[in-house]
Parts: sequence; structure tokens; C-alpha cells
Amino acid sequence: MNKAYPVALAILVILLAAFPCIGPEVYYLSFMFSVFMYVILASSWNFIGGYGGYLSFGHAAFFGIGAFATAKLATMLQLPPMLTMLASIPAGGIAALVALIVGYPCLKIRGPYFSVVTLCFAFVVDLAVKNIEFLGGAEGLWLKFMDIPEKTSRTIMYEVMLLLMVVTLAVSWFLGRSRFGTGLTAIRSDEEVAETMAIPTAKLKIQAFVLSAFFPGVAGGLFAYYLGYIHADAVFSINISILIVLMAMFGGGGTWLGPIIGAVILTVVNEGLSTFAQAEIARIIYGALFIVVTIFMPNGIMDFFRKKGGKT
Amino acid sequence: MLVGKKITKRFGGLTALSEVDFEVRRGEIVGLIGPNGSGKTTLFNVISGIYSPDGGDLFFENRKITTLSPHQRARLGIGRTFQIVRPLSGINLIENVATGVLYGREGKTKAGEARERAMDILAFAGLADKARRLPGELVLEDRKRLEVARALGLHPEILLLDEVFAGLNPTEITAAIDLTFRIREEYGTTIFMIEHVMKAIMSTCSRIMVLNFGTKITEGSPDEVANHPEVVSAYLGAAYAKC
Repeated sequence: MNKAYPVALAILVILLAAFPCIGPEVYYLSFMFSVFMYVILASSWNFIGGYGGYLSFGHAAFFGIGAFATAKLATMLQLPPMLTMLASIPAGGIAALVALIVGYPCLKIRGPYFSVVTLCFAFVVDLAVKNIEFLGGAEGLWLKFMDIPEKTSRTIMYEVMLLLMVVTLAVSWFLGRSRFGTGLTAIRSDEEVAETMAIPTAKLKIQAFVLSAFFPGVAGGLFAYYLGYIHADAVFSINISILIVLMAMFGGGGTWLGPIIGAVILTVVNEGLSTFAQAEIARIIYGALFIVVTIFMPNGIMDFFRKKGGKT
Repeated sequence: MLVGKKITKRFGGLTALSEVDFEVRRGEIVGLIGPNGSGKTTLFNVISGIYSPDGGDLFFENRKITTLSPHQRARLGIGRTFQIVRPLSGINLIENVATGVLYGREGKTKAGEARERAMDILAFAGLADKARRLPGELVLEDRKRLEVARALGLHPEILLLDEVFAGLNPTEITAAIDLTFRIREEYGTTIFMIEHVMKAIMSTCSRIMVLNFGTKITEGSPDEVANHPEVVSAYLGAAYAKC
């Protein structure tokens, strides 16, 4: 591999980290915050959905669980605002634990059951949270915010989300090149053959799913803190689950760069369209974009460029 | 090293294997023949763990493996190929073989080392110059070679070859026979093979087992089996068996 590649990445990360120093408007910080967040969501989804080929249609559930767990931990333990952010780490752990419980029975077996179970699971969690008084019920939960100017607090959130994105992408990078990732790729290709090649398929799938739930859980915690008020509709929406899948597949599942590209493009398009175009037209453009990509690049944008580059 | 005792497998009302006893000894090349639908591939699926038998037990190096999952059996050293070739699509030949090396018995867990080893195996199987191609770009002969190389990545103690000669022309068959012998020489791998191509089976196997309707009808040296009345009857009909 080219040695310039990691250096370029490091420079890019430093530039992103230094971006708040040039004093951009809060809007841009918030926008970048959501770009980072979707890169995290799509890249983590990619662990199980891209590498392993097991499509989770309910990944927003882990995002939401992280958000609610953080809010609940903060209020129960009376955490000061800065510590609330750290509470999103154990909240990610809770999301991972839930993934273990949900994934264990349906990943033991092969086939599409997993996708159906994750989809239903997301609905069940959404309904449960709305109906449990302890979790705020229909009213949602409030979080204490930092007692500092908005711009400073937004800058801190920006940097923290950037850090989480770098960590997620580092994990994704190593996963793609590791024995673990190789095993998952074999599972995606042919699970029965993978078994005859001594790959413990059930174990690998469960591990990948648990890992893919952890980072969205942490991101959800940060998001809850960022909003200051959390409601089930904001984090458990099926739209988020679908968007995660689309981003990863749009960019190219099973590759490192694919979900990043997909998340960045779709967040920009989404945001740009909602600012500059009427809602109806925005949806049409959005839909048309998907049709074009599905027809001409069924394996995502990444695949298209790889073929152009002549490498196979 | 591989022993099956009274292996029975039923699919609903159909008994695909009925109390089949067999033994493969270390260093042998054993053939498994029989007409279509006689249960050969089913027996391989039972041995590799894809099907669990309805009766009987399997032993590998004196250890009972009947309840182990396919990956555990592969880990112990039972490798296999599939009749209809099943490479890992979308990744090149090196990555295909390296996957087996990483999870198999080579003890290599680093991707770089595994790729080097995979390259050696591909060279051994005669695929060195195509190592960076995708499996879909290969002709049938090379796909069959890849199927064997993929299984060799595990460094198996015993290799189950399911019709690797089928569909090859005479020149390719000669080359494949040569490869079969070389696997035994270089890897010390015992071979258990399903085959229809008589030239291949007669020249490679020291012992042949014959299945018909899920029952083992005979076993012996190639010549004995070829002249056995029940075998002739199973393949050509009872009328030919008399003369």
C-alpha cells in the first residue's frame, strides 16, 4: 500500500480538528457533527452488514438505546454535564449487550431471519420506550447542558464526535485487514463453505454484530447530550435505520471507504436539498439518485471507481 | 484414521444412507463410487458435518466427532471440496486460499503470512500466474484446481474430493491425477474421493467402496470392484452381470 495514504489521512483529521479554530458559524459545526455521526453509524453497520453480509434493518435501535441509556445514567447519577458525555461509553456497552441478546438466537442460524428480527426489534424498542414511564414515556427526557456559550459547547461536541469517528474508522480499518474481517467476508460469500474452511461462523457473526452496536450506542449518547432533550421519535425512527443501510450500500458495503463516502454524500445531499429545494422536489431528487446508483453501480460507488481504475 | 459405523441418513421417507460402515486409513487414496443418487455426496456431507446423521457414529483419529460442527471438524483436519465448485466469489485467488490458511491448521494468524502461504499453495496447484484473478474469470479446470487449493489452505489430514475430475478433458484429467498424487506426497494428506471418471479412479485409488441405494455393496481393489457382479449390475443392469 502507498505510504502517502496514512499521512494524507492524518493531515485530513488534523484539518478537521482545527476547523472550529477558523471561527465558522455554529450551523457548520452542527452540520459537520451530523456528518461525523452518520459516518460512525454507517461504518459500524458495515461490520455486520457489509463484511458479514447480514443486513441489520434496525440499527437505529442501538443508536437510541445509547441515547436513552446516557440520559438515564446522567439523571440517576446526577452527573455534571461533562461527565454525561463520558456516560455514553457505558451506554454503548449497554447497546452492545442488547445486541448480544438479540443477535445470539438469530445469528446461530443462517438466512434472512436476522434482518427480520432486527427490523421488528427496532419497532419493539421504539414502542417500549414510548410506553415506559421510567424512560420518559411519551414526554421524553431532559439532559443538563453545559453552562457555557453555545459556540464553545458546540465546538466541544464537534471535537468529541470527530474523535469517536476516528476511533470507529480505525477499528473498521483493522477489521477489514484482519483474520476476523477475512472470516466475515467468507461468510458473506458462502457460509457453508466458510464452515468447511474451519471458520466458526456463528461466533464471528455475533461478535461482529455486538461490535457494530457499540459505536452507534456511544454516538447516540453524544447525540442525546447534543440535543439536550431526547424523545423516542428523534432516535428510534425507522428512517434512521433505513438511512444507515442506504448510506453504507450507496458507498459500497464491505469496504472501508464505502460507508464513509456514502454517509458524507447522502448527508450533504439531504442537508443541501432541505435547505435549497422544496421538500417534494428534494424527495424526487433523492429517489432518482438511488435509482441511478442501483442501476449503474449495484455494488456501490466504490465498486464503480475501482472498475474504472482497472483494478479488480 | 476416519471411521464410520452404521451411518444412517434419512430425508423424510427416503433413506439416503443405510447403516454404512467404512474406514479410511492414513496415507490411502480411497475411491467412493456408485450410480447417481446412491448417497455418495450425502456421505461426504455427513463426514464434513453439513448433515448430522440419523444413526451411527463417526470417529476421526479415534475421537468421536458425530456431534461436532463443520468448522470444528475442519479444524481437526477434515477438508473438502464441493461437486459444484464453490469459490468465495468477489475476492481473488490468493484471498480465497488465505482465508483457509488463517483459520486452518497452519497456525498463521497474520494476513501477510497467510497470503505468502496461499501463494505457495496456488503455485503447487498450478495457479500461480492467475493468483490475482477473480474466481469467476477462471475456466472450469482452473476452478477445480482452486477448489482443491482452497481446501488445502487448511492443511487437512484428510481431503474429501467430490468429483474434481468431472467435466475435464483427457489431458486435464491426467494433470488432475498427477495433482492428486502430489497432494499425498507433499502434504501427507489422506484422500477420500468420489469419482465417476474410471480412468481417474482406476489409476489413483488403492481401494474403492461402492454405494448403491444408500448401502455399501462392496469394497476392494480397483480390479476386484470392477469385476464384482453386484457393481456391474448396479451400473449396467442385472442382464450384464451374468456374463
